[in-house]
Amino acid sequence: MKPSVIVVGSGAGGSVAAWEFARNGHPVVVFEKGRNLLPGLGSKEGLGRSRFSNDEVKASRSFENPDPILEPRTGRSQREAQQGKDRTFVGDINGLPTTVGGGTVHWDAKVPRFWRQDFKGLSTHGPIANANVADWPLTYDDLAPYYDEVEARLGVQGDLTKMPAATLAQAPRARPFVMPPNPPMYVGTLLAEGARRLGYEAYPFPMAVNSQTFDGRPRCNSCGFCDGYGCAINARGGAAVSFLHHALQDGVELRTRCFVHRVELSPDKKRAIGVAYFDADGVERHERADIVVLAPSAIETARLALLSGVPDRSSQLGRNVMFHFFTVAGALFTDPPHGWRGPSSTLTLDDFVGPVKTPAAKAAGIAYLKGGICEVGGSIAPGPISEADFYTSVPGTWGAPLKELMRTAVWRTRVAGLSMVGEDMPQLANRVDLDPAIRDVYGMPVPRITYSAHLFEQLASAYFGPLAAALCAAAPGAVGAGFIPIATAGELTGGFGSALAGPSSTAHIMGTARMGDDPATSVVDAWGRFHGLENVYAMDGSVFTSSGGFNPTNTIMSLALRATRHITGGASTLPAAGAPAGTIAATGGSRATAIAGAAAATAAITLSATRRTASHDPG
Amino acid sequence: MALLAFAPPRRVEALLQATAADGAGRFLNAHEMTTLRALVGTLLPGPPLDRDPGGVEAGAPEAIDLLLAAFTFDPPLIHAGGPFSNRNGATHDDFADFVPLDRMAELAWRIRLEGSLGRKEREFAGPVRGLQQIYRDGLAYLDAHAGPTGFAALPAPAQIVILENQADATTQELVGVALANAIDAMYGPPEYGGNRNLVGWTTTNWRGDVQPRGYTDAEVSGPDPTAGGAAPASTATARATFDRFLPAAVGTHTPRALWWLA
Repeated sequence: MKPSVIVVGSGAGGSVAAWEFARNGHPVVVFEKGRNLLPGLGSKEGLGRSRFSNDEVKASRSFENPDPILEPRTGRSQREAQQGKDRTFVGDINGLPTTVGGGTVHWDAKVPRFWRQDFKGLSTHGPIANANVADWPLTYDDLAPYYDEVEARLGVQGDLTKMPAATLAQAPRARPFVMPPNPPMYVGTLLAEGARRLGYEAYPFPMAVNSQTFDGRPRCNSCGFCDGYGCAINARGGAAVSFLHHALQDGVELRTRCFVHRVELSPDKKRAIGVAYFDADGVERHERADIVVLAPSAIETARLALLSGVPDRSSQLGRNVMFHFFTVAGALFTDPPHGWRGPSSTLTLDDFVGPVKTPAAKAAGIAYLKGGICEVGGSIAPGPISEADFYTSVPGTWGAPLKELMRTAVWRTRVAGLSMVGEDMPQLANRVDLDPAIRDVYGMPVPRITYSAHLFEQLASAYFGPLAAALCAAAPGAVGAGFIPIATAGELTGGFGSALAGPSSTAHIMGTARMGDDPATSVVDAWGRFHGLENVYAMDGSVFTSSGGFNPTNTIMSLALRATRHITGGASTLPAAGAPAGTIAATGGSRATAIAGAAAATAAITLSATRRTASHDPG
Repeated sequence: MALLAFAPPRRVEALLQATAADGAGRFLNAHEMTTLRALVGTLLPGPPLDRDPGGVEAGAPEAIDLLLAAFTFDPPLIHAGGPFSNRNGATHDDFADFVPLDRMAELAWRIRLEGSLGRKEREFAGPVRGLQQIYRDGLAYLDAHAGPTGFAALPAPAQIVILENQADATTQELVGVALANAIDAMYGPPEYGGNRNLVGWTTTNWRGDVQPRGYTDAEVSGPDPTAGGAAPASTATARATFDRFLPAAVGTHTPRALWWLA
């Protein structure tokens, strides 16, 4: 009998882990705090009709998102913490969907890879004052095969021939993309021309969106309700549809509306014996397993580890939380660029990743600056409700002036641009801990986030913002351009409670259980295993040692696959690099993962004979 | 009204027409509805203050009342269904089939709408004033500050003066909530009870939901002069709007707080 596994959280890391464990014959139970909003998930008949829709109202009503009434988070700045304030905000802080599939249910599905330099920040670029810069305990080359495999299952589109040489040097690729890019969005084409005129290089954004039928799901029809919306036609890959769906078909058990609130440790605190959780009726229960995987996302992993009394020799648990630092730039166009038609954006640009050395940074005592990847094209307000919310964020904007703004619709129909996912420096003082007073619906202490930006990302935003604005201004038909260092603006106008907190929120949550080889300076090892615990792993964004300047989900999934594969000893589902491409793209059902060859096929037969449910111990 | 309790959401439109006659809503009484219409008519004005239909014409007050009374429907009128309406190629309007709430989602929405009401199981994070109370108290407060005739009978400029008072926290609480709810009702899908005759979308040249049709490759990748707002902005208007909402625009003044830009 293979060791039984509990996976906490069905999002990016958890679904990948469950899939890999199940493929290799481990009994797996996945606990998900939210509902299952995906009819047919895991069924033999396949995915059913989506419950998601082109509906701005539903998207804003905690349909898939955590409801801050049930699960508030609290926040404060570093300065407020120093002043002894317990919190200055209660509500939503970077909440990721609380539902089966987690954040990938409504993600933008942009899947860039981290670069070589991101894994070796300290040794490549050196320290930054008052930041906790460190190298990861692994390299790009260690992770690359897992990127390949994750992307093959997600069905990632892209065009290798159009990728900049600098990008491929930092993130080399052994295989072609699964499918060609979506039709380019008009606005992206305009901005790409602006980029070209200034010597920058935009290229098709690698993304987990179907440009053709794949894995039993249809081609994207560019409806535009993409980032922040569950897909109405299941054309977007993700944790649930690309991994958990097949894992469930392979016998994984999924328990929804079950909130794991404690990892139960052995008396010597050297291993986990299982978890305690509240079931859908609010009854506390216990589950036993040989391996416990934490993947509820970085904030919740820190909270769960703290609630569980996980040993913390390094005193790093909960610290170094990182969010990415948005900068937005936009142009005013003479003719409507209709930036809402398409999957949020179809092009990207790496010219602002850095590092760069600037006089301003030097004057501030910072050796270098780094920005991040940009979404090129896309509307700043893709629908009238988000547009109206933007206008009304200026107090007193209502009445006839608001109606006129909505009628001319300048912001929605004439302004478009790009957003930069800026690297966020890890800081010890940016941390998640347990709020001393506020409780959630289960009666458990809620996570408290203490966060202030480092001068590094503020300067980077101020440095790259004008370059991004210049790019926008150079686009054909642009008659004006500008930028907002929106994350900086959010901090200056109230932090988590700012009217800009929403627009400046990246929902990229990293750090809190950083990986490293040294137990004195890190929380988990290179495989996500907690130092000092034999069988507890973190497999979500919590393990990130740095945040890079790239959307993190591909890296979360690939790290989870690498860590799980280390435990299972299983084989890759990909043919050896250099074999004819396209094999994966043609596959459908979960059993087709056995295409890796006879060995994997044998394993699949073995697992179906040994499957069982992990022991259930009603509390 | 009792007979209408727990009516299926598909009948929302018929219900709205039926309740319009006596002026009472499903949660708010007739006088409160009158005050709410005056409030919404000021926040999102229609003729004569604005040339296009406004929040009242869109049915936003009735939609707000339906939200406050969401739990008199089964399933509650919180999350419209999916994946498609019948406006873009599908024959059945899935939006009208509202999604049932489970136990936890129902608790959240009961707290949001009804408040915690002093019940222990609702006050795990402290007491919460519900939207029903905020509207009931806020509308009464507006009336109390409008003189003997009540808020609804005041001339529009007087209503605007009351609502513009940023120093009055009670009024601003109501304005904030009602504005957000009225925007949802006017510019969101009509299945929620507002956006009558799609006036929120036709007056802004917005197609609304587009599935299952989506956009063609040509619509995605090529120019489309008809994709602008309902009233094409002059460059001067557009520029003024742009500047107002882009404080750090290149070439304009630098906010003093952003010292490193100086």
